[in-house]
Amino acid sequence: MISEMNFLERILYILQKYGTSYLKGAGTTLLIALVSTFIGCIIGFLVGIIQTIPVDKTRGKGNRDPFLKRIVLGVVNAVLKIYIEVFRGTPMIVQAVFIYYGMSQLFGIQLGMWQAAFLVVSINTGAYMAESVRGGIISVDPGQMEGAKAIGMNHVQAMTSVILPQAFRNILPQIGNNLIINIKDTSVLSVISIVDLFFVHKSVSGALYTYFESATIVMVIYLSMTLLTSKLLRLWESRMDGDENYELVDVMDIGRQLGTKDKRA
Amino acid sequence: MDTNQVILEVSHLEKSFGSHSVLKDIDFKVKKGDVVSVIGASGSGKSTMLRCINLLETPTKGHIYYQGKDITEPGTNVCAYREKVGMVFQNFNLFNNMNVLENCMAGQIKVAKKAKEEAEKNALHFLEKVDMAAYINAKPRQLSGGQKQRVAIARALAMEPEILLFDEPTSALDPQMVGEVLNVMRTLAKEGLTMIIVTHEMAFAKDISSHVIFMADGVIAEEGNAQQIFETPQKKETKEFLARFRQGI
Repeated sequence: MISEMNFLERILYILQKYGTSYLKGAGTTLLIALVSTFIGCIIGFLVGIIQTIPVDKTRGKGNRDPFLKRIVLGVVNAVLKIYIEVFRGTPMIVQAVFIYYGMSQLFGIQLGMWQAAFLVVSINTGAYMAESVRGGIISVDPGQMEGAKAIGMNHVQAMTSVILPQAFRNILPQIGNNLIINIKDTSVLSVISIVDLFFVHKSVSGALYTYFESATIVMVIYLSMTLLTSKLLRLWESRMDGDENYELVDVMDIGRQLGTKDKRA
Repeated sequence: MDTNQVILEVSHLEKSFGSHSVLKDIDFKVKKGDVVSVIGASGSGKSTMLRCINLLETPTKGHIYYQGKDITEPGTNVCAYREKVGMVFQNFNLFNNMNVLENCMAGQIKVAKKAKEEAEKNALHFLEKVDMAAYINAKPRQLSGGQKQRVAIARALAMEPEILLFDEPTSALDPQMVGEVLNVMRTLAKEGLTMIIVTHEMAFAKDISSHVIFMADGVIAEEGNAQQIFETPQKKETKEFLARFRQGI
């Protein structure tokens, strides 16, 4: 019977029969992508911030940093670098298998496939975001840090109130990029049996032998999710940039508040 | 000369970047209320010296005493020192993520731990002083260079510093904006604020300085009061430098 239908009819038939499965799969995909991108951003920010802690490299007596701080930072930075290189340098599909099966064989920890999914996508995103955050921080004009230091701010104060807000705005497009990549790349998690959108496609097309039709449906769903995401992110960006105009304030009012301006009037 | 009045003393200060020596054996004292101008050709080490005083550059050798305490010693509370020795930059360095009012409040709240209302009142007072109170809602990118620099001065003043360092405050400005910034600085000088000013504005330096330092090749080639340096310079380098300026080069 399905062989007698034309293309559109087949798509409608599939949607009628498996529509809710596709939607559930899409929901799973979106959930993993959103949560993991969020956790990945937190990891990325932490790693990026640690990597940009300044270390006084002057040799000998003039060095202002305690010896212990330099040793600890050196070791931590080396570990972080390895983390970034390993997770950026290997495919996520392999990482998923490696962590899902590796954790139980090496450490005896039996991860649920959901835990494994969130873990893999989060630390993968974290590795990419770490470099974006580091780039975002070092691309903020060094004068901003000097301006903050010159009024007596320490590194933490300068970072939280001056540098990071600007770095965050700089890397917002990168966060959007990662979210979109994650929406698509969660498809590899079907190797650890996560029933995401791609898994549904594989099952449906396998059962009905309708590869092209199912792929069409899945393409449209993926594209809708990514288009919507990028639209929302653009909106967020323009909201962050704020108003192009500003209001001049009546100086007389300020003067009256301070009790200084009446004379000049 | 009353030594109690000496607020800042730079002693045998040296700074090198790698093998390149920028400052060689700099010595001078600043008394409370002094307006010290530092002049000299580009690359003579003026800005580096100023940045060393604020510890934005770590001196290679030598000592800097602020109110008798050596701030180059390890263990110095650099942030507390910078709170008292403010700096105004050539490129303003206003915080781009904050509006004018927030720029002038951030340091007071975060560093000086003032209450928000007090910080705001204080910020408005100094913004009014530099005639920028009307612009409290503007972001730095919406202001002209001269306006930015006046806000930067208000931001530094809001910390109520003992000394204010100016690193070529008008070099990045259009000629018509230079005047508005210099006028603000003139007012501050009259009010008795201790200032060290690195500048290329010779007429201004001559006008307001109580002491002038002429630097050449990383050393203080000549120093004295404004009259001595600008009218009767003794050294060949000083004469040549000033002659070039009079010709308008």
